[in-house]
Amino acid sequence: ISQTSEKEYVGFATLPNQVHRKSVKKGFDFTLMVAGESGLGKSTLVNSLFLTDLHKDRKLLNAEERIRQTVEITKHTVDIEEKGVKLKLTIVDTPGFGDAVNNTECWRPITQYIDQQFEQYFRDESGLNRKNIQDNRVHCCLYFIPPFGHGLRPVDIEFMKALQDKVNVVPLIAKADCLTPLEIKKLKERLREEIDKYGIKIYQFPDCDSDEDEEFKQQDKDLKESTPFAVIGSNTVVEARGQRVRGRLYPWGIVEVENPSHCDFVKLRTMLIRTHMHDLKDITSDCHYENYRAQCIQNMTRCVEMMSVFHSPLAPLSPPCVYPAPLQLRRMQQMLQKMQQQMHEQEL
Amino acid sequence: MSDVVPPEVRPKPAVPAKPPNVGAPSPSSPFPPQGLGVGGGGISAPPPSAIPVPIGSHGPSHGGSHGMGHGVGHGVSHAGSHSGSHSSSAGSTLLGYIGIDTIIEQMRKKTMKTGFDFNIMVVGHSGLGKSTLVNTLFKSQVSRRSAGWARDEKIPKTVEIKSVSHVIEEGGVKMKLTVVDTPGFGDQINNDNCWEPISKYINEQYEKFLKEEVNITRKKRIPDTRVHCCLYFISPTGHSLRQLDIEFMKRLSHSVNIIPIIAKSDTLTTEERQEFKQRVRKELEMSGIEFYPQKEFDEDMEDKSDNDKIREAMPFAVVGSDKEYQVNGKRVLGRKTAWGIVEVENPNHCEFAQLRDFLIRSHLQDLKEVTHNIHYETYRAKRLNENGGLHPISSTDTQESNL
Repeated sequence: ISQTSEKEYVGFATLPNQVHRKSVKKGFDFTLMVAGESGLGKSTLVNSLFLTDLHKDRKLLNAEERIRQTVEITKHTVDIEEKGVKLKLTIVDTPGFGDAVNNTECWRPITQYIDQQFEQYFRDESGLNRKNIQDNRVHCCLYFIPPFGHGLRPVDIEFMKALQDKVNVVPLIAKADCLTPLEIKKLKERLREEIDKYGIKIYQFPDCDSDEDEEFKQQDKDLKESTPFAVIGSNTVVEARGQRVRGRLYPWGIVEVENPSHCDFVKLRTMLIRTHMHDLKDITSDCHYENYRAQCIQNMTRCVEMMSVFHSPLAPLSPPCVYPAPLQLRRMQQMLQKMQQQMHEQEL
Repeated sequence: MSDVVPPEVRPKPAVPAKPPNVGAPSPSSPFPPQGLGVGGGGISAPPPSAIPVPIGSHGPSHGGSHGMGHGVGHGVSHAGSHSGSHSSSAGSTLLGYIGIDTIIEQMRKKTMKTGFDFNIMVVGHSGLGKSTLVNTLFKSQVSRRSAGWARDEKIPKTVEIKSVSHVIEEGGVKMKLTVVDTPGFGDQINNDNCWEPISKYINEQYEKFLKEEVNITRKKRIPDTRVHCCLYFISPTGHSLRQLDIEFMKRLSHSVNIIPIIAKSDTLTTEERQEFKQRVRKELEMSGIEFYPQKEFDEDMEDKSDNDKIREAMPFAVVGSDKEYQVNGKRVLGRKTAWGIVEVENPNHCEFAQLRDFLIRSHLQDLKEVTHNIHYETYRAKRLNENGGLHPISSTDTQESNL
């Protein structure tokens, strides 16, 4: 019943605005992870994307100091407000990734971090006081691929495969200003082929609705066809064509970060912030988190099964009893704790 | 045994988190003057102008140092977008707008696609115009009456719960509206405990939702049948609340949002109406009945002042009608009597318009949120604390097949 006259107007069409008002009050949060070897411009890119200055006092380590480094996980949180909308942005950095001589399983701390956030959320969600649950789950991981090679390296493949079911992986070609347009095109094709060939599940843009306007559809198509994005970041402002822009000054010319014919920075920013931020969060919570949760519960159930078979002191849960008695539950939890600990220790 | 939480796993050595770094407010240092290049006298191609200047620093530095960021501040104190630098150049907006406000639009699009659910329950003894009022509120035949219930159907011996759902659309927004009727309430000679079937129904919906929530494989959008709002119809006696009214509201105001309304208020003159409302409000207060919007859930000053005004005006005295008449050249919904036409949407005649604006145009979402965040959570906490807790149920029928 679509109404036209005021007389017929009920008023619940204002519902999206009511929802909107509350969300603006509450604000949003978003956690972005960046991964890739040192020197690929991760920090600069993040600063360029969010106009922040997160690493002002960073001290860059030299090679020797880095020998004994393991992969760390560092977090920076920034509150950004724009047009009344508040965003709490958390950047998770992974210094040390891929920098060692032997990089076997260097993604381990990263997958563990992601799992930890899921676990924390699972616990909060299952608890009693759910009023102010903090969502620290990683919503997107930007993975930086060096532009110097000829496609995916073994570490790239292994990393992305290890993370593909835990987080939305968005691969990027870093420091793209050292490639000519033709080289970029070839590299992108090569990367897309290899991602397909190795069955790596990177973040897929959802198809846009059929009722969207043509301009939007075209934009969407362009976006999809230019992945992986070739990006350049910059913390400096240069003057180009009479305007002040972010860019890099070379003797042979000026690279403008926000010029779509120079690199895909604008596309990345549009996708990440202006069109797909909400979708990234949705996929994280509806797919990656739900998978984790289902697995977690199944592991717990399996432990209970094992216990009821092997540990006789604990009376086996009688079949119709779906809600175990308090004492049994406590014992069960204690044993589950022990088993989980053992499992974790074995994983190392 | 209070909590049911997955067993504690000893965390790995704590991740070293750098202290939260809120963007520093922009230093007020202006840019060092652009030394080179601009305004050379008419030579063909001016050299690439300007040494790259890190924003916010004091001197030229080489591009390529990643450590220098630009210190434009993003404190929560700054509202609105801001230009990226102090030099008022046209290009600075390029540097200043990130675009996070678009997330609102992204959310909107998504919620428009998925649509909304709203479940409203009407309670009151028969003949108070419950079905008519709901039809009037939603300008459609959505209550049970339209689904073929005959007017002279017998009053049921016990309170029944009958729910009817319709999908209505307005302005591109689709809403699945479910009206839950409670025929038989208050109609018997002995009305003891007649609220129990209602209470049971409300809790059953919470239980349904809870079961879905603890499932191993959960639905993306759990169907929401919980009662978001209960309109309680007060008989317009003009004297005071009846004992049953107080009993019902007392018992149910902690598990559902109750909105009391004075039904068929066209039997009261304006003065009588005012007096009756005041008396009713006083009685509600004395009995400790917290009707919606509850004072304790006001989130901030803005909410409180808005809601205070509404609480002062409640309970709304309403008249419902699905018949139209011509008044002053306009067609209006109303009731025609020998002495005049009662116009439903005329604020001088009754408070229907106020109720509708409050219920639908401003607090619809809030009703759902209070139901979900407070009433449902209360129920859930109670359930988790009894019986030692809930065991996650697998989506396949019996769990014992795994044991």
